[in-house]
Amino acid sequence: MKNYISHLILRTRSNFNGVHLIRQFTIFSLILTVVSCSDFVEVDAPKNVLISETVFENASTVESAMANLYYRMREEGMASYGLSAHLGLYADELDYYYSDFDLLSLYTNSLLPENSIVLEYWKNTYSIIYATNDVIEGVTKSTTLTVKEKEEFRGQALFIRGYLHSILVSLYGDIPYIITTDYIENNTTARKPKNNVYQSILADLVLAQSIMTTDDPTGMSVIPNRSAATALMANIHLYLKNWELAENNATELIEAFQLEADLNNVFLKNSKETIWQFKDDLITSRNTYQAKQFIIKAIPGQTYSLSNTMLDAFETDDLRRSSWVGSFTSDDGLTTLFYPYKYKASLIDKESLEFSIVFRLAEQYLIRAEARAHLGNLSGARTDLNIIRNRAGLDVTPAETKNELLNAILQERFVELFTEQGHRWFDLKRTGKDVDILGAIKPNYEPTDALWPIPETELEINPKLRPQNSGY
Amino acid sequence: MTNNHNLCRHRRIYVCCLFFLNLSLTLSAQDLLVSGQVTDGQLPISGANVLIKNTNTGVVSDFDGRYTITTKPTDSLQISYLGYTTLTIPIQNRSTINITLQEDATALGEVQINAGYYTTTDREKTGSIVRITAKEIEGQPVNNPLGAMQGYMSGVNIVQNTGVPGGGYDVQIRGQNFINGGTAPLYIIDGVPYGSLSLESADISAGINGADISPLNAINPSNIESIEVLKDADATAIYGARGANGVVLITTKKGKAGTTQVTVNLSSTLGQVSHFLDLLKTPEYLELRREGIINDGRGDRLENPQFNYLYPELKTWSQNRYTDWQKELIGGTAYRNVAQLSVSGGGAQTQFLISGGYQKETTVFPGESNYKKASALSNISHQSTNQRLNITMTANYASEQNQMPRTDLSGVAYNLPPNAPDLYTSEGELNWENNTWDNPLAALEEDYNVRINTLMANVGVAYKLLPKLELKANLGYNTYQLDSYKLLPNTARNPKFGFTPQGYSSITTNNSSRNSWIVEPQLHWKEKWKELDLEVLVGTTFQRQTSDQLVLKGKGFSSNSLIKNIAAANSLEVRAADDSDYNYQAFFGRVNLKFKDKYIINLTGRRDGSSRFGPNRQFGNFGAAGAAWIFSEEAFLKTNKILSYGKIRGSYGTTGSDNIGDYKFLNTYNVTGSNYNGTLVLEPTGIFNPIFGWETNKKMEAAIELGFIKNRILINTAWYQNRSSNQLVGIPLAATTGFGSVTGNFDATVENTGLEIDVNTTNIRSAHFQWKTTFNISVPKNRLLKFPGLETSTFSSDYIIGEPLSIIRLYQSLGVNPQTGIYQFEDYNQDGEITSLDDRNFIEDLAPKFFGGLGNTFTYKNLSLDVFFQFKKQKAFNHLRYASAPGLLNNAPSYFYNRWQKAGDITPLMMATSGGNYSLYPSRFNYSSSNEAFSDASFIRLRNISLKYNLPEGNNKMTISIYLQGQNLWTFTKFDGPDPEQPSHVALPPLRQITLGTQIGF
Repeated sequence: MKNYISHLILRTRSNFNGVHLIRQFTIFSLILTVVSCSDFVEVDAPKNVLISETVFENASTVESAMANLYYRMREEGMASYGLSAHLGLYADELDYYYSDFDLLSLYTNSLLPENSIVLEYWKNTYSIIYATNDVIEGVTKSTTLTVKEKEEFRGQALFIRGYLHSILVSLYGDIPYIITTDYIENNTTARKPKNNVYQSILADLVLAQSIMTTDDPTGMSVIPNRSAATALMANIHLYLKNWELAENNATELIEAFQLEADLNNVFLKNSKETIWQFKDDLITSRNTYQAKQFIIKAIPGQTYSLSNTMLDAFETDDLRRSSWVGSFTSDDGLTTLFYPYKYKASLIDKESLEFSIVFRLAEQYLIRAEARAHLGNLSGARTDLNIIRNRAGLDVTPAETKNELLNAILQERFVELFTEQGHRWFDLKRTGKDVDILGAIKPNYEPTDALWPIPETELEINPKLRPQNSGY
Repeated sequence: MTNNHNLCRHRRIYVCCLFFLNLSLTLSAQDLLVSGQVTDGQLPISGANVLIKNTNTGVVSDFDGRYTITTKPTDSLQISYLGYTTLTIPIQNRSTINITLQEDATALGEVQINAGYYTTTDREKTGSIVRITAKEIEGQPVNNPLGAMQGYMSGVNIVQNTGVPGGGYDVQIRGQNFINGGTAPLYIIDGVPYGSLSLESADISAGINGADISPLNAINPSNIESIEVLKDADATAIYGARGANGVVLITTKKGKAGTTQVTVNLSSTLGQVSHFLDLLKTPEYLELRREGIINDGRGDRLENPQFNYLYPELKTWSQNRYTDWQKELIGGTAYRNVAQLSVSGGGAQTQFLISGGYQKETTVFPGESNYKKASALSNISHQSTNQRLNITMTANYASEQNQMPRTDLSGVAYNLPPNAPDLYTSEGELNWENNTWDNPLAALEEDYNVRINTLMANVGVAYKLLPKLELKANLGYNTYQLDSYKLLPNTARNPKFGFTPQGYSSITTNNSSRNSWIVEPQLHWKEKWKELDLEVLVGTTFQRQTSDQLVLKGKGFSSNSLIKNIAAANSLEVRAADDSDYNYQAFFGRVNLKFKDKYIINLTGRRDGSSRFGPNRQFGNFGAAGAAWIFSEEAFLKTNKILSYGKIRGSYGTTGSDNIGDYKFLNTYNVTGSNYNGTLVLEPTGIFNPIFGWETNKKMEAAIELGFIKNRILINTAWYQNRSSNQLVGIPLAATTGFGSVTGNFDATVENTGLEIDVNTTNIRSAHFQWKTTFNISVPKNRLLKFPGLETSTFSSDYIIGEPLSIIRLYQSLGVNPQTGIYQFEDYNQDGEITSLDDRNFIEDLAPKFFGGLGNTFTYKNLSLDVFFQFKKQKAFNHLRYASAPGLLNNAPSYFYNRWQKAGDITPLMMATSGGNYSLYPSRFNYSSSNEAFSDASFIRLRNISLKYNLPEGNNKMTISIYLQGQNLWTFTKFDGPDPEQPSHVALPPLRQITLGTQIGF
């Protein structure tokens, strides 16, 4: 080809002096037609892009596709810091004293369907679910991955799919359960009743448990394994009031992990009781998002702090009050604000000793205590509860009856799990106490506030999501 | 890297060639110096073209109509001037030839108009082309050629995005064609397409110039000979898939034969913000603030010292201080100094031009921010003695450096409480007032710095195979390199945060470049049979453009003194590492038939291929037909005393747009630059759709061009209708799909129609005094013609069939309820509630209703005065868009004092609120999106005034002129925001500028 063109050019040049114009014209036309082939308008993919099929050809690029899931869950907050603060405001853990519209409407339980936080959780979570489904489909189709690799990736992906849907169902009630990447189907999908959603979550988790191992290759629990699936399973059975299954799953974990004796070690990255946590990347100006989100270093600063209800909930002598609650006093000494101090390193000045914990063993003790109380095993329940209380420097619980015990467990969950992934509000909802307890201190709280609204724009695009949750 | 090396080498070789050719330019012995004066019998004609016949060599007569040209004794001179009959005079060995031109009604055919691949004339053009020339551009002290076009061209709507030097412009030619919003036209500089998209990264300069840096800044306006804008199908279809939004052709100056001319131009400009807002003074501001806190039910906090930290403006800051923050932060004077030197000349065979310019411009902000630009243009043309070979080579180089704070201080200047503390302590340090405020001047420590190097080089070769058959090739190469950084030192932040260099300080860098080359071989054939003229053109294009961008953020430094060295950062984050290739290939052609000099048919077409589309969808065909009838040539009108020129023309054709970004048809995973647990993150790019193709744009135009009284009055009236369909849009998807949209062709049609009138008159032409007027007006109308399923799509809240794309839906305000003190709104759906979609039914339009310009040029002896007004009828968001209630922390216009206080009050503004009362939110938020927040922003602006005096010529042949120019000197508007042209509340408005300069030629 190259030779041919240079030949043409030479010929053309030699003919400049000649008079064989017709020949020149012919040669020119040849250049026009021969050189211009449609290959010219096909370009290679850019360096920073991989064609989808090639991603699933080998395990290291699939790992990168999985890394995207963990990265986004950590950054976008639905599994880490975000709900901890937002639901802390929505329930009774945090007080808000500034004028941001979105935060104020959370705090006053007056969400609108246009609220940007309501939309962001919905959108971001389904977006990660898409990426998860793409991994499941890509891995399944792949002809080059080994069976073991396929199982590892599928197991993680199924667990994530179940986990993300479990957050959505807690916030929004009936929701679509998305298991394909087909945008035409997903674009007009309908909401499934809450119970069906939970059944789908359990189905994914059962399958995930069956192909995941309890190996922790990183030694830091920063990639979920079978134990993470079990922890979520225990939690979901608790929500579904399947007490025996909740107890069994919790027991499996209680036997495999052990509590940190010292409260100051619970949130360190090498804590023995951590079942699953997100690793932070030390690139941005923070360590964990939780520390950045909560630790007050200036006022107005965060614009929210621990509520009096929360501070009053601690019994005197509760070590968690001193270990996990921090305070900041203004320069003039007139104002003191309290904040969650479970995570202690906020700025990146020193290397962090903390990652962002999603599941930890203390919750499993409290799940099992509650399940046992319902099953009538009151002494077993009391034992589990006391293990958590003793670690916090408290005496054994005075609760005797089943009801007293259940109340004591709810109270213990409040002070143990405060500002962690919205446990408090979810607990109040599932025990039907949200209206009584929150309604007493938050004048706007109504029974319909137990569910967030479906984002307005989504109802517009996909009318099959209608009707809107009641109360909005 | 290899490319860069090659580039450097090429540049060096090129420069060597240029010097060599320069040195070898000497007058040969047989040359004859001819001089004389061009007059119309009475008055000198300045600006007449004196050309050696059958060459491109020529000169222009000076102010006194004098010319001097070097020719051969046997040549003929061809003298032409718009409105006069062209004269051809054989030299016959004379050295003085005085020329008298006759006024001629039919001489509109003299000035060559660049139509891209070919040239035409006003008389014979079948398409819609508007132009401005060096004359209009030189009178305006602007940095970017787009700035000089504002108001001068019918159908072209240009808005300057910021008054900060080195920023960008929005350009719209005949309205918005596409729903996805792209309106950028195709720019062709000396025959070479030039990418106009900004390469700056939002990570770096979103706060100061919106990450919008116009690559056209690299073109020094004073190096431009003419700018033509092609608008209709006849003119743009030859640009095929890139012509939908119009084509802007920029032609740089060329050397002219004659004695060597040296021109020096020096000027100084002062610039200031033209309009300040009338904001609340301290007592009123504090009163409203206090009242707002009480209204919010938080009055107890005013007395409770526990809340001092929340309200420093009421509690700890002086209650009597007053600072005019606009004066303090954006009230400075910006200086611009420009120096320009150009040398041109040459002989009959070879001509050259070398021009160099340097400018430095400061800002109205405090501090040392400045923009510097050095530019060079060199041009060399050569014709063989037998006139068959013609080579032109042009190189345009510019180096820009812009050093600015990373944040435009305008927003803070409008918002800061009037009693905010001193900027500096008595020791001259930044004052943080016990950490109670964010000192705005801290922004000056957050450097933004950008360096841009641009090279545009092109070679045009033309060889006449036969007298009537010419082979041409156009070869071009552009490179645009942008390197910028932004610094965020911890010292620029309030000490209350306790940030340290290790934990906070960061640098973000952007290294971007775009390179493109183009090869366009063409064959031109001209034939004449008796009364039939034929012109045929065929050609092909190969174009390749590559661009890449690397944005890095380095964070954490052991000391701020190391902050500029990204290698010293504790951690490095890749914010963007993109590259893309765009290949483009086409065949194009034109057939032009002219019968009896009055019936003209022009056919153009193009077959285009673009790599932006998926396999088997890369090619598309485009074409247009244009026709013109010069009816004033008909026998029954030829002798008419009043109508001296009349033409009806029309065109119809298709163009397209592939303006959707590269690689959109691939199903891909992206490297995001992030990692999790040490594993690189790969993210799915989006839902892909391999089956999409061109957007098509059908353009139709009809126009009538009339000249009266020997063409002293010229009126062009054009009507157009453009319909764009097969729209490439992101079709909105439910979030459950994982994405917001999928790109595809959508069966929606957008129509732009409009009327454009251009009037040019010579009002007075006497011995010493001339008065000319130019006027243009454009009345555009945009509407969405067709959109299947609009009601059920997410676009349902954005668009309405039959209405413009630029509509916005607003609540209809019913004013403040005298009983409750909050705003009320029309409940359109009567459900008792004001809800977003159903009750926003008050429709307004962001696009201008009409716009245009009016210019007058007065010349008296050596003095000339140009006065140009720009006008636009439009609406825009006013201050209520940004704050709609009194009592908020940000300062507000002084009319905010007129608020509701007690039942029965009838006021324009609601009760004061500090922002802390949830129940007041909906009222004031809805008000920001109501018809009250959108008001008239029409304006008449004295865009440019230019006064120039040519000193009488002395014996030494030196010409000196002195000029005084003003830009944006006066504006008439009812708009209450900073500037009606660019109604943002966060960007510095275009400045008012006065320039004093001198031009010396010898």
